[in-house]
Amino acid sequence: MVNNKYEQLNDLIDQYLNSFEIVKTNDGTNITLELKKDDLIEICSLLKNTDALNFSMLIDVCGVDYLHYGIGDWETTKATASGYSRAVQQNTIIPDPDEKYQEKRFAVIYHLLSIDKNWRIRLKTFTGSENPPIVQSVTGIWNSADWFEREAFDLFGIYFDGHPDLRRILTDYGFIGHPFRKDFPLAGNLEVFHDDLEQKVKYRPVSITTRPTVPKVIRKKKNS
Amino acid sequence: MGLEKQENDLIIDQGAGFVMTSIDRLANWARTGSLWPMTFGLACCAIEMMHSGAARYDMDRFGVIFRPSPRQADVMIVAGTLVNKMAPALRKVYDQMAEPKWVISMGSCANGGGYYHDSYAVVRGCDQIIPVDIYVPGCPPTAEALLNGIIELQRKIKNKN
Repeated sequence: MVNNKYEQLNDLIDQYLNSFEIVKTNDGTNITLELKKDDLIEICSLLKNTDALNFSMLIDVCGVDYLHYGIGDWETTKATASGYSRAVQQNTIIPDPDEKYQEKRFAVIYHLLSIDKNWRIRLKTFTGSENPPIVQSVTGIWNSADWFEREAFDLFGIYFDGHPDLRRILTDYGFIGHPFRKDFPLAGNLEVFHDDLEQKVKYRPVSITTRPTVPKVIRKKKNS
Repeated sequence: MGLEKQENDLIIDQGAGFVMTSIDRLANWARTGSLWPMTFGLACCAIEMMHSGAARYDMDRFGVIFRPSPRQADVMIVAGTLVNKMAPALRKVYDQMAEPKWVISMGSCANGGGYYHDSYAVVRGCDQIIPVDIYVPGCPPTAEALLNGIIELQRKIKNKN
């Protein structure tokens, strides 16, 4: 029953989006469209405004950083006295404006829901090698994108072109860096404490070092 | 004040000292019987704090009545994860409380960062920001544990002076 509905949606997607360059994955209940970021606005307004599709609601917008995708914390050949190289690596504090990103580093993911048709779809777009990573804002299409995009900007440093008020939403006032980027040190750069002499809450550099928080799992190799 | 602890009959002989020590004891007794906490519920610990305030454990039995204003409170229960952004606000609320004041740090996060100890956004223990009298361990501590913390605080106040 469910499958029929999604087969119908699948056909409609093929019908309406055939002019765009998209990669579609369909596992029967979830359709994911990977699209070019230049097509984003056009595809989004088409998905919303076409009566047959009618994706009237934006459920979520989120960012993804694929920097260490598929690389385990403990899978490293270099071990140092103070720990494993990746885990104790000292990371850059401020994003380097000249750094070029790998093509598939940052992605933005949109979850859409059609209340009328009771079906969902997922859109995914990579930001490319641009620094800063930037995509078009969909606030003009769905108002709910406002805070989601602010969150993605705050945590990943992804810029949304056309957003009415793109500022940080979660992190501390005056926070530097984007904490959900994989090259951001987990322990951060600053910690707060109360200075009893000055009677003020102040910042100082962190007193702890980042350590691997992923437990090491030892499995026997299948062949041995 | 002024007098060391001595045998009762000796204190009676010395007059004034007897009255002073008694006032301290009386004040301490009054304070232990009406600990009004400033609720600083920050996370899931706050739910346990509500449990200890509600019908089953009923902190009213100990004269503990939650106050929404720091001006009316004399104990602050820091219940939950204290993040960097909240730290100045916590200190401000603490500074607004009238003397004498005490602090109960409730749960692993408030005690030392707990589960979020390694995080970029979390204060590693609320004692970085305010002086703490009683640490209640647990994640979250049960309502009984918080109640025990309050009784321990009462004992601490009673033994002062």
